[in-house]
Amino acid sequence: MDPSVAASAAAPENGVEKGAVPKISVRGVTKIFSSKRGEVTALKELSLDIQDGEFMVIVGASGCGKSTLLNLVAGFDHPTAGEVLLDGRPVAGITPECGMIFQQYALFPWKTVQENVEFGLKMKRMPKQERQERAARFIDLVGLNGFEKTYPHHLSGGMKQRVSIARSLANNPQVMLLDEPFAALDAMTRQVLQEQLVRIYEKHRKTIIFIAHSIDEALLLSSRIVVMTARPGRIAQEIVNDLPHPRNAEVQLSSRYMALKRTIWDSVQAEVMKSMEVEAD
Amino acid sequence: MTSKSNSSMVFISVGSLVIFLAFWELLCRMGFIEPLFMPAPTQILARAGKMLGDGSLLQHTLASTRRVMVGFMVSSLVAIPFGIFLGSSRFFMAVFDPFISLLRPLPSMSWIPLSLLWLGITETQKYSIVFMGSFAPSLLYIIEATKGIDPLLIRAARNLGASNLDVMREVILPGSLPQIIAGLKVMLGIAWTCIISAELVAAREGLGFMIMNGKEYFQTDTVLLGMVMISITVMVIDVLFRKFERRLLPWTRQ
Repeated sequence: MDPSVAASAAAPENGVEKGAVPKISVRGVTKIFSSKRGEVTALKELSLDIQDGEFMVIVGASGCGKSTLLNLVAGFDHPTAGEVLLDGRPVAGITPECGMIFQQYALFPWKTVQENVEFGLKMKRMPKQERQERAARFIDLVGLNGFEKTYPHHLSGGMKQRVSIARSLANNPQVMLLDEPFAALDAMTRQVLQEQLVRIYEKHRKTIIFIAHSIDEALLLSSRIVVMTARPGRIAQEIVNDLPHPRNAEVQLSSRYMALKRTIWDSVQAEVMKSMEVEAD
Repeated sequence: MTSKSNSSMVFISVGSLVIFLAFWELLCRMGFIEPLFMPAPTQILARAGKMLGDGSLLQHTLASTRRVMVGFMVSSLVAIPFGIFLGSSRFFMAVFDPFISLLRPLPSMSWIPLSLLWLGITETQKYSIVFMGSFAPSLLYIIEATKGIDPLLIRAARNLGASNLDVMREVILPGSLPQIIAGLKVMLGIAWTCIISAELVAAREGLGFMIMNGKEYFQTDTVLLGMVMISITVMVIDVLFRKFERRLLPWTRQ
């Protein structure tokens, strides 16, 4: 195996020694869900730092707590133990600083594309004229000019997700959280949207946490990849993705790409096997 | 279904109505039915012509319609915000639940004695009967409608900076509006039964009064005319309501 694929085992508090406060710091977080059928430990003593401007992609077996982690960062949920810090301050509740993009788009069906994109600005009580102009800019950014007055149910899945991205960006969050955003799309549309997201990332330099649908998606998008263990979720492996940009077909056929893919696959596969054993019990 | 078969369906419906009326008329003319118990369609029509001439038919119809509309509007305008509020607050739902549960089974008729005692034979008394008959069921429809909202949309709204009030106004209200309107359409029918009952018991005008008054004077044609007028008015209002519904829910249009 390529020795440069440094697989650093996740030790707690393994934040990159940069001196600066990480954008997001997950510290010893445990999340237990209690229901009538008993308790489920979704995350166990998970620690992870995300630096400002990083594009961090999470991969792992289904049900390993990836979405739970994202929900904790977004403030939708609270950790059972440990803490999540944004700019060094604990996340107290749902904050517009962390814009969430959902796999199911979560557009408001009763609002037009324009009104959906304006939503966050309206919540900030931005004057109408100003928010219309700002929304128009972001509709333009995702290439949906001409669809301003369309209602979401007339749009394709890919277009809906672009509206959702524009809606989030217009609100100018510091962090973007994406939970398998392209999983429901066909392969071609997915690729177009992945490329669009990379361009948006390069232009706006948001900090991004992205839950990937596949290893290829992770390699294509990320600056760092985190592999999570089977439930209870912890960090199995962290990999710095140093593939050159743009990550075109040539890069995707390079030996470096293959080596990285191999490393991640081995790690993910082991976890998938483990999670299947758990399910079989 | 094609437009051709649609129009032929309408033709069949009209035909069936005409045949029914002709049969009824024939039975009356041939003396099989006593006009005191069941007057012929033409006799009812003649009564309608007479009452249209002196303006009383329009007066009674408008009186009932106005009472239904005022009572129903007030009830809806209170029930919609209150229902949305209760639908989004488990605490206040628990506080108000016993009262709603007690009020809901009460037929509007049961409020007539108290309302007469408190308000007399007045317009306010009529409005209050419609209100009492439609408020609790409307409220329950609305609370139920708010439960159909996709929680993901509420999350998305909060994530974009929406406050509790914003979520109610921008997500829960528009999100449950199609179901609220469907519920209110049913309630509008119930509001009509409320007002007719109230007018049957005590009123000086209105379709319920007209029916009761017709019975007092053995004018069975007036009784039947009043009943027909109730049907027609409710049908017309239903059509208007549907137009209004389409305007209010532009995103549901294909």
